[in-house]
Amino acid sequence: MRLQPFELELVIEPQRWQQGRVAACRQALAAHGEPLRWAITAAEQRPEGQWLRLEAVLLV
Amino acid sequence: MVAAGSRAAGVSEPLPTLLVIPTGIGCEQGGFAGDALPVARLLAAASDCLITHPNVMNGAALYWSDPRIHYVEGWSLDAFAKGSLRLRPQRRQRIGVLFDAGIEPELLLRHRQVLAAARATLGLDIGPELVSDEPLGVRLSQASSGSSWGQLEQPGALLQAGSRLKHAGATAIAVVARFPDDNGSGALEAYRNGSGVDALAGAEAVISHLLVRELQIPCAHAPALAPLAPMAELDSRAAAEELGHTFLPCVLVGLSRAPDLCPASEPWRSQELAIDQVGAVVAPAGALGGETVLACADRGIPIVAVRSNPSLLQVDAAALDLAVVPAADYSAAAGLVLAWREGLDPRALMRPLSAC
Repeated sequence: MRLQPFELELVIEPQRWQQGRVAACRQALAAHGEPLRWAITAAEQRPEGQWLRLEAVLLV
Repeated sequence: MVAAGSRAAGVSEPLPTLLVIPTGIGCEQGGFAGDALPVARLLAAASDCLITHPNVMNGAALYWSDPRIHYVEGWSLDAFAKGSLRLRPQRRQRIGVLFDAGIEPELLLRHRQVLAAARATLGLDIGPELVSDEPLGVRLSQASSGSSWGQLEQPGALLQAGSRLKHAGATAIAVVARFPDDNGSGALEAYRNGSGVDALAGAEAVISHLLVRELQIPCAHAPALAPLAPMAELDSRAAAEELGHTFLPCVLVGLSRAPDLCPASEPWRSQELAIDQVGAVVAPAGALGGETVLACADRGIPIVAVRSNPSLLQVDAAALDLAVVPAADYSAAAGLVLAWREGLDPRALMRPLSAC
């Protein structure tokens, strides 16, 4: 087991964002490891959807 | 204990409320050494049941114990908000103590004397203690937002030691890791002057999150550090960390009555708290992007966004397309919680009255 700092920027479709914000973020992070600690540290509503920057420590 | 029991006529039932002040992002209130404790005390009085995390409650040698306040580490707070854990209030925990093998003998002695004092002076049940098999290797870092982060070189040594404590009878764990000394960096000076980010907070959260995830019992962390030279202009909010030789007393007191963590898959028992009982979550207006707040948003729990607590982040309701109830400061937030607890519509307290 290793701890890995990780940052990710992504855009989430508005409907998916409204249906489950935690699930949307966790799913995006899970592709890279298990998120032990994470937070949205920048966000903006854009025409294409919800833009986010996530900062995390992952278990890999 | 929170659970209602018999109450005097005219006294409202508790309104379980979450208070979140994220760690390591430089919050004006709660970004230092337990300096959000007055906020927690006020919200506990307003709600009669406050659930909050160690960053709010830990003031190193200073602490406040209140049976209306539930001390819940961040990983378990997130799990509670997502509905995967419930909280079972306890009168007493048996606190196992895990020391990092990287702590020097003299500093270790200071910490062991805290354990002795907590037994003798506070009557706490301090359980088994042990030293990890190898130094945990705490490393501090900073993310691109400026928030503090960190990691461990030997997470396996932490988990192995924690597991031994649990098997030896500990029902909660205080962990003390040796943190790198800061020999006069600009960041430390800014923090002591009341304008910076707590550089230790991010790594502390990682340590306690990892233990709670693995062991599913209450855990909290205190860093072991060499003492700093006294500073005449020390900011009041950072002062609690410079009163003694260790940061451990508040952790022991917090854990001593921390609720048990119960998987939601187990049958519900009376007195337990579940997320569907929570009536509000209170958080800084610019730091709404943590898992607890978002999980509450997903469940439609009212979010009170406090404007008077800025931080490094500007992740607000508009940026996240969230519906929130704004509050100018924590006094206003407490007023909202009290109004909801009494069954009042807070809009009825304002003039002119808004249309239905």
